[in-house]
Amino acid sequence: MAPTYNIAMVSDFFFPQPGGVESHIYQLSSKLMDRGHKVIIITHAYDGRTGVRYLTNGLKVYHVPFLVIYRSTTFPTVFSFFPMFRNIVLRERIDIVHGHASLSNLCHEAILHARTMGLRTVFTDHSLFGFADAASILTNKLLKFSLSDVDHVICVSHTCKENTVLRASLDPLMVSVIPNAVVAENFKPPDASELSSNSFGQNPPPARPLGPHDTITIVVISRLFYNKGTDLLTAAIPRILENHPNTRFIIAGSGPKAIDLEQMIEQNVLQDRVEMLGSIRHEEVRDVMVRGHIYLHPSLTEAFGTVIVEAASCGLYVVCTQVGGIPEVLPSHMTVFAKPEEDDLVAATGKAIAALRANKVRTELFHEQVKSMYSWTNVALRTERVYNGISGAISEAEFYGYDASNPATWSATRGRSGVQSFALIDRLKRYYGCGIWAGKLFCLCVIVDYLIFLLLELWFPRDKIDICPDWPRKPRNERRESGVR
Amino acid sequence: MLTTPPHLYIRRPSPTTAEFTVTTRPPLTLPLRLALTSLTVLRLLVAIITLFTLYIRFHALLLPPSSSFPSDLSPQQHHLYLWSLTTHHLERARLSPAGQFISTQITTNLPEWTHLALAMAVLYLSLTIPLHTTESLLVLRGLGIQTSTTTGNLLGGICWPWGMGGKEAKPATTRFIPTEKIRDVLINEAFRGFEVRYYLIVVVEGEEEVVVVFPRLLPRRKIVEAVWRGVRGCLHEAPMEGGGWYNGRDGHKN
Repeated sequence: MAPTYNIAMVSDFFFPQPGGVESHIYQLSSKLMDRGHKVIIITHAYDGRTGVRYLTNGLKVYHVPFLVIYRSTTFPTVFSFFPMFRNIVLRERIDIVHGHASLSNLCHEAILHARTMGLRTVFTDHSLFGFADAASILTNKLLKFSLSDVDHVICVSHTCKENTVLRASLDPLMVSVIPNAVVAENFKPPDASELSSNSFGQNPPPARPLGPHDTITIVVISRLFYNKGTDLLTAAIPRILENHPNTRFIIAGSGPKAIDLEQMIEQNVLQDRVEMLGSIRHEEVRDVMVRGHIYLHPSLTEAFGTVIVEAASCGLYVVCTQVGGIPEVLPSHMTVFAKPEEDDLVAATGKAIAALRANKVRTELFHEQVKSMYSWTNVALRTERVYNGISGAISEAEFYGYDASNPATWSATRGRSGVQSFALIDRLKRYYGCGIWAGKLFCLCVIVDYLIFLLLELWFPRDKIDICPDWPRKPRNERRESGVR
Repeated sequence: MLTTPPHLYIRRPSPTTAEFTVTTRPPLTLPLRLALTSLTVLRLLVAIITLFTLYIRFHALLLPPSSSFPSDLSPQQHHLYLWSLTTHHLERARLSPAGQFISTQITTNLPEWTHLALAMAVLYLSLTIPLHTTESLLVLRGLGIQTSTTTGNLLGGICWPWGMGGKEAKPATTRFIPTEKIRDVLINEAFRGFEVRYYLIVVVEGEEEVVVVFPRLLPRRKIVEAVWRGVRGCLHEAPMEGGGWYNGRDGHKN
């Protein structure tokens, strides 16, 4: 019987704000709770959403009042979160602090403080970053700071892992890859009643043959930003529509590049073949997707690309650029890859249209395949294994592999699993290696943090903090644990 | 020694009435009574001495220089007599060796305005620092509930026009909420300063703000829970079965 943990998910990004990180945290937390763990979420206060809240499944959310500066990240005051964080951690009896998203300042602070308090920490990276420009260098330095002393890191794809390992100079062995998942039930292909009535209860579902003159609809759902490849899309749409007469586009999403798209539509007089829906809610995504046959994803950088999994789950053939973690996401029979350039994107879309017209692609089977590949239960299981590994519930050799447990390959960054030392001097050693100046600065921060910790122990003694009663935990279901690598 | 952490007393004079009192005052034993009395005397003494130093400093503004003790006064001039008596004694105290000593010490060491400000501060503190805070919740089945807050300072009865540090500390700190106005009584959590606290609230019909019970002391979870159970048991006919902690909204029976 593996132990259960009290886990605090910390991120600046959570509901009511919509987004990928937010739903990842929610889904992962719910599935971990189903497995008998206790999970709370710590985020900052949103408009009209402050204080302590419960979601319907008993998930407790602390909306800590903080100043928000940019795209819902909080102001980076390294120490100001500590008293509140300590109080929450003690009253909820947290063992593991799990931070999300590298742009979230709250998460980095929480990891630092948690290590000071002697807790296990995990960090999940959801995005890719460059190395060249000033902003990236700064972000990478900060990432290096908070990841110098973390027990384990989770990335959503292998590309993301490579990126994170390089950015934060991590030991690759302490980075796991656990992909995102989708709730396949929410992304079902149009069922029989929505298409025709004669195909009741067939397994596998019948094919949907396309006639040579049927209109093929290409769906694009993305925020219209530069990094999502909207410029590429703007350039490619007129050429695709010119080459293939019976096609049309549906574009959903909004952003600063929407004006370019509209301009393109006006210039080429494509109003009847390109439909712009503006921004849509996450619940409506499926309804838009099932109107199409092909999903086009022109993004320039992407750590994982949950949306293409959702599209494939809806039974769409996916055309996407071969960047970031995208090639890892779907098997090759569901996708056509293009280089992130105009000509190749046009050619790839043409290939996809031709394949669909020739009825070579069994898109109706995609849903079941995606469902068997991606599930949040599986994500939770694999995350739980990480928790077991860092808290020493499973042996070092089992967690890191047998080579890694060889003392000759011992690494200071990783420490020995399960016993990554909380001693201040060991932590300082890890921080000191961050750079000539940065290392000393980081050490200073850690020392100050430790002093604050001691002060807080005097100022707000532990026995003066009320312990929260737990939400009734679900019993652990051990049977489902088999069949996971 | 003189105060304790907030603790709870429950009084049930009848099955339909219950009073929950949370106080920082320890049980009144004889040594505690003596200590409290001497502390009160000490505080009064400090206040009087401060006033006296003020008198020494500014007596010239109060009295004409040639005042002396009148020997014969009619009863109509009785108030005048009292005034003269007071000033006479004050003058005598001022001219006594102790008075002279204070006078020289103060006038040489303290500028006038500093003296005035200091004296005011000392007066304010010695007379108004609350020693104990007592908050109570009275539940009467069929009638309603009443919350009250008392702070035990020397001038507790006086209405301070500016309040005493906070909305809830106005002199009229008793509030009655009739049963038909009570929508629910429940325990909530909120951020306060650098911590998250539990507190008992009453949701009142037709009001935006909820009423916080024990707003000054904000006792700890154990007390709050005990009071919550007691209130529900007393306010609604049957005591709650099982008394689940979070089903605050389920047992709504009125």
